[in-house]
Amino acid sequence: MRLGSALRTDRTDGPLLVPYVLVDRRRRAHLRPLVAALRAGGANALELGFPFSDPIADGPVLEAASGRAIAAGTTWGDLLDAVRVSSRILPTAVMTYANPVWSHGLSRAAAELHDAGASGLIIPDLSLEESAPWRHATRAAGLDLVLLAAPGVELERVRRIARESRGFLYLVSRYGTTGAGRAQGSAELAPLVRAARAGNPTLPVLVGFGVRDRSTANAARATGADGVIVGTALEEKIATGTPHAQISRWVRTLSGRPALHGGFE
Amino acid sequence: MGRRFGPYGGAYVPETLVPALEELDRAWQSSRHDRAFRTELDRMSRTLGGRPTPLYFARNLTRRAGGAEIWLKREDLVHGGAHKFNNALGQGLLARRMGKPRLIAETGAGQHGVATAMIGAALGLETEVYMGEVDMERQRPNVDRMRLLGAKVHPVRTGSRTLKDAINAALRDWIANVRTTHYLLGSAVGPHPFPSLVADFQGVIGREIRRQSVRSFGRLPDLAVACVGGGSNAIGTFHPLLHTKVAFLGVEAGGSRSGGVGAASLSRGKPGILHGSFSYVLQDRDGQVADTESISAGLDYPGVGPEHAWLHDRGRARYIAVRDRDALRAFHWLAEEEGILPALEPSHAIFAAVGEARTRPSSDRIVVTLSGRGDKDLGVVLGASG
Repeated sequence: MRLGSALRTDRTDGPLLVPYVLVDRRRRAHLRPLVAALRAGGANALELGFPFSDPIADGPVLEAASGRAIAAGTTWGDLLDAVRVSSRILPTAVMTYANPVWSHGLSRAAAELHDAGASGLIIPDLSLEESAPWRHATRAAGLDLVLLAAPGVELERVRRIARESRGFLYLVSRYGTTGAGRAQGSAELAPLVRAARAGNPTLPVLVGFGVRDRSTANAARATGADGVIVGTALEEKIATGTPHAQISRWVRTLSGRPALHGGFE
Repeated sequence: MGRRFGPYGGAYVPETLVPALEELDRAWQSSRHDRAFRTELDRMSRTLGGRPTPLYFARNLTRRAGGAEIWLKREDLVHGGAHKFNNALGQGLLARRMGKPRLIAETGAGQHGVATAMIGAALGLETEVYMGEVDMERQRPNVDRMRLLGAKVHPVRTGSRTLKDAINAALRDWIANVRTTHYLLGSAVGPHPFPSLVADFQGVIGREIRRQSVRSFGRLPDLAVACVGGGSNAIGTFHPLLHTKVAFLGVEAGGSRSGGVGAASLSRGKPGILHGSFSYVLQDRDGQVADTESISAGLDYPGVGPEHAWLHDRGRARYIAVRDRDALRAFHWLAEEEGILPALEPSHAIFAAVGEARTRPSSDRIVVTLSGRGDKDLGVVLGASG
């Protein structure tokens, strides 16, 4: 199923939750149970991160994790393998920077990702002006290209971004990189959500950057967005070997839905 | 000015930076036709920067080479000891025009950091500089200079701990503080409009060469030579001479090992997207950016300005790589023959120019941009010959 239709269907049941997991060759064996745990915790889709050597939109935690994954020899082939695993459990969007995709050729990369089972692509260093060839290549391959908007961006531009975005709109919560740090207040973010709705009424809007617990997730949803994306805080739990059952319960607390009783199995 | 040089350039950045890049583009465009701005830029270039810099006939080096005449464009005499002042002043004035009270910069060799610290002090702007730990070690005197000039220097401990990682750190700072901060990018790299506006402010080098060569030897040179890391002194040298018959040679850092990539993006890289622009990048099969290796911190960068990529593809400029040991030889030639200690960056260009001079008749004129002085490199040079 396309990313957008999956999320549009799910949002009728409650707020959306999309966790981010970085592909790391050393964690191959853990991916399937991890994604299953995320789904049991209420995740509606997955962002699968492919590490890049120069991740300028990432804070220290994801930057270090990317460096370790590259040092461990994580390749594009590992990404495709990971997509094959995760996309059977959750609709999967791949998130990476422009160069790894560009270096494989836009059309070829999009086709390979789609054939592996991916339904979306997110490129944080792709501005609206540069996105046209990427939109064409992903559309031809049947992938949703998710665009990003951020505080400080003019509302008319947010409307244009929402019109061109597929799958969902990724709304960056603040001036800053991924990880610790405070989101802009609802007063600043809510107009951006409304502008996105005006530009593309059916497109889900998800807020990311700085979502790390129940209160930050609630604050992000208070902007009127359809849900949240959680990355750095999850990476910290994975890196410290948190048991999957515990991750599942923690994800549930972020989802804005009632707690599960009993284990996730 | 357009966003692209042929297919190269553009602005591959997070949306958070788009408003700031648009604001910078507007400020720069309006300043270009603003007489008051240009007068102030010119006044400070002369009275603070020491411009114009001389064009010097390197008689002894020419005799040693045996062939074409070698002339040096003396950017090593600019305030601070390198061409970096030209760009730092221009962008500093733009920051003031935009009402941004804080400057951030990356630096490799430390010359751009020093230039930014000087301009920050002169214009009353708070200044913070990101510098890789490896570079802080090998360019220690410049770290001290920046601090004495009132700038805060942040060591960068990620990745290869050199220029590339310093740019990453500066970009992250800019994303977080974009409303109050101007990122004073030091080379002709990065997202639009940086490559064009850096070429504009560094173009003073080529404009002076045009005037001075006619005055000194009655015509334009046959060849202009400059070193290329990101490529700001080279684009400043080439750009104003693009529509003439002058040939161009850009000299990249070849590193220490034969068969290694050094930092020679145009000679040994392929097109890719790094730090906001599409240009040549040293990278692996998966698009991961390579670690570079050069004796010269200022050339130790895996990308290159997008205008150079276009000049390269069109064949309008030629680019070669010069190895560490040959740059060191050229350093000593210039010291012993002309009494000038060059920085290690332009030492690469000097070596290439001497090689070119040997293949050309004595009636030919070669201008080499001597982009900086070598005081900062004494430790590296003495260590290498010890």
